Amino acid sequence: MLELRLVQGSLLKKVLESIKDLVTDANFDCSATGFSLQAMDSSHVALVALLLRSEGFEHYRCDRSISMGMNLGNMSKMLKCAGNDDIITIKADDGSDTVTFMFESPTQDKISDFEMKLMDIDSEHLGIPEAEYHAIVRMPSAEFARICKDLSGIGDTVVISVTKEGVKFSTRGDIGTANIVCRQNTTVDKPEEATIIEMNEPVSLTFALRYMNSFTKASPLSNTVTISLSSELPVVVEYKIAEMGYIRFYLAPKVEEDEDETKPQV
Amino acid sequence: MAQIETQGILQDIETLVSDQLQVVSYKWLSRNYLVSSNDAKRLLQEFVENHGNSLEVVYTLSGQLKNNPVSYHVRLVSGPELAEAKEEFDGNCSVGVYSVQPCIPKDPATIWNAEFVQAEELHTQAPTVENCLRDNRFCGILNSFVLRNVEGTPLSTAGPQLKTKLASEPSKINLAHQDSVILKQQQNKGEQSSPKVGLPAPNVVKDVKSESNGIGVTHQPNKHPADKEKVAPLPANKKKVQSDKSSSASGGSLANLWGRASVKSKSNSTAENSNLIPTHTGASAEAQICAREAEAGVISDDDDQDVNFKRASGSEVTRKRRVVFDFSDEDECEDAVNLASPEYPKGKSCQELKESSKTLVALKTNLNFDEQVEDKPEVKEEISVDGKSDPPCREDSTVVSKESNSGIILTEKTDRSVPEKDVNKMDKLATAAKTQIDAGIILTEKKRNSVPEKGVNKMDKLTNGASRSPQRRKILKTRIDERGREVTEVIWEGKETEAKKADSSATMKADSSTTKKADNTVTSVTNRPAAAQKSVANTGPKNQTAKAGGKKAVNKDPKQGNILSFFKKV
Repeated sequence: MLELRLVQGSLLKKVLESIKDLVTDANFDCSATGFSLQAMDSSHVALVALLLRSEGFEHYRCDRSISMGMNLGNMSKMLKCAGNDDIITIKADDGSDTVTFMFESPTQDKISDFEMKLMDIDSEHLGIPEAEYHAIVRMPSAEFARICKDLSGIGDTVVISVTKEGVKFSTRGDIGTANIVCRQNTTVDKPEEATIIEMNEPVSLTFALRYMNSFTKASPLSNTVTISLSSELPVVVEYKIAEMGYIRFYLAPKVEEDEDETKPQV
Repeated sequence: MAQIETQGILQDIETLVSDQLQVVSYKWLSRNYLVSSNDAKRLLQEFVENHGNSLEVVYTLSGQLKNNPVSYHVRLVSGPELAEAKEEFDGNCSVGVYSVQPCIPKDPATIWNAEFVQAEELHTQAPTVENCLRDNRFCGILNSFVLRNVEGTPLSTAGPQLKTKLASEPSKINLAHQDSVILKQQQNKGEQSSPKVGLPAPNVVKDVKSESNGIGVTHQPNKHPADKEKVAPLPANKKKVQSDKSSSASGGSLANLWGRASVKSKSNSTAENSNLIPTHTGASAEAQICAREAEAGVISDDDDQDVNFKRASGSEVTRKRRVVFDFSDEDECEDAVNLASPEYPKGKSCQELKESSKTLVALKTNLNFDEQVEDKPEVKEEISVDGKSDPPCREDSTVVSKESNSGIILTEKTDRSVPEKDVNKMDKLATAAKTQIDAGIILTEKKRNSVPEKGVNKMDKLTNGASRSPQRRKILKTRIDERGREVTEVIWEGKETEAKKADSSATMKADSSTTKKADNTVTSVTNRPAAAQKSVANTGPKNQTAKAGGKKAVNKDPKQGNILSFFKKV
């Protein structure tokens, strides 16, 4: 028996919106500690990890760990039927092949019940080791989204370089090049507007902007985004989910090489 | 030596090491201050005793290894590893300071850069100038069997001999070679070459180590008497090569004798060398490459005679490690692998190049191999030292036309040699003992993998075309192409006798080489005047486009990392 009552139902809606384009099908794992998801995109370049801790739910009951395979597109369709202020309750019976979403309007005037079929998904759960990152940048999520959006109009890839000066996003495309430098800025009125750079050593990595833009769909979940970079490791783009968890996107860097040198000639 | 002078040198060393961060080796010291190599070592030793804590010292150890008492080993070790390294030597080994430097360079080639450059300078001096490198006056090892006669043809009674491995300074033989080269140029090549090769182990070592020294002149030697005998029109080339071989084998004339000696000694020496000086070879080669690269860039522009190919290939070549293979006889080849520095005689290279160029695919055999391999180094030299090496070659009466083109041919060869090397070498180089060499080769292979075969095929064609094409002038033009890359074009000026075919092939080749280049700069041979133009125009663009297309298609996925390579499944 599974019953999760989430007062701030919009969170779940936003979560789905942020990942459904990246991942089509995924297993939601429910355990006593929380509601989580880990999935890779179809090309195995990016990985999304979601955690909603049990404490974040008004009511959390999970008798035994359960993994529910869902099509995220379908789930999103159902969640769209929920109002932004609705309370969402996820229910599933042991052994059942369906999951039920119940939406209650804040005033309890309206109660909707949606039952969705589950699916069997071969899950490839990856172990993500704890790692020390060379550089961690925290910045307003809207700013990051803007940068990624802007750069994607110019080039396909973004080079994120963190130095003492700040974090630089640069791209190069047919029409030209672009460089955006964000300096550390902690003297702001609101803490969420700060740009904070923690750097142990300079890092410069190249990523596909397509994925970055996909990640920024999670911006509504949080005012700030944390970008953790380390050479030799995928970048982590993390959005905190109000007090109850996070959604993290891992993206493998592009291999930087001199194409002329290594590319076989045709 | 006066005390004062010693003090002055010591101060100079300190300045060089601490301020200019130069690597000061005893060889460099010896040549620079005209002291004997032993004195230079003593000076360094003294310097180390006084300033030992503020710098890094590389020692040279020589002696018999415990686990391999048969052969004589020379090894360079850094200060901290000295004691450990000594343990590996059987009984007494000689320990000397090889060099002092502010820090142990990551790239071992750095250790020898300075002396290489220095040696190069010495070698590029006018042929008539006696310098310490040419007369070998500071070398601790002299070979009494090697004499210089008036004509500069080395006479030696000694066949292949194995001596001490370390010859720090150029040997007399080299001098002889040089002289002979100068005097007789091509014709002498055969003789010279043989002597050079023929030099006992020390020479080999020398080659490896001091290759830097042997720039233009020295290298010429390896051509065999065949040249003399067979100096003939192009068609003969193939034969020539072969004849060279045969002649050396049969050993009729003195030159032949030398040639044979050289072969043998080399193979032997190489075998030993692999054990002895592995690091060196690698390092030296690299050093040279570095040096060459720098020079090549500058010089290539100026070369009148160098053809496009040269440029393209040359630049490429410079980038890579060179492996010199000496295959005296087919079977001996395996052992003969030598990581030689690019120092081989230019003259030789020229001739060989010619020959090789003519020798078509058929020649891929060992002969080609040898020549080609050797050519490579030479090519480098040429590039760097254009002035010197080229002139003599051109002067040759026999193959005048060819000669003029020698530059071109060289380049081509280089290219060719590379690919072949990759393909063939790998097979032939099986020996475990040569791990180092192998490594080197592999490196090259990797780098070249992209374009190995083209090189081979094209090379042949190219060679022909290039070799025959009369004098042309190449001009470099740089522009930015539509993709935003810098494209350096080599444009030919001058009359063109060659067949279009050759040109086209040549262009093709050039292109391929261009593509190979690691740089973003794409060198392509584009505008060729006259007949060549057509072919060029076609081939050039085609290739480029193809390349571009390929890139785009392939690009995205190959470059994108996979998350699974970072995280493992649970």
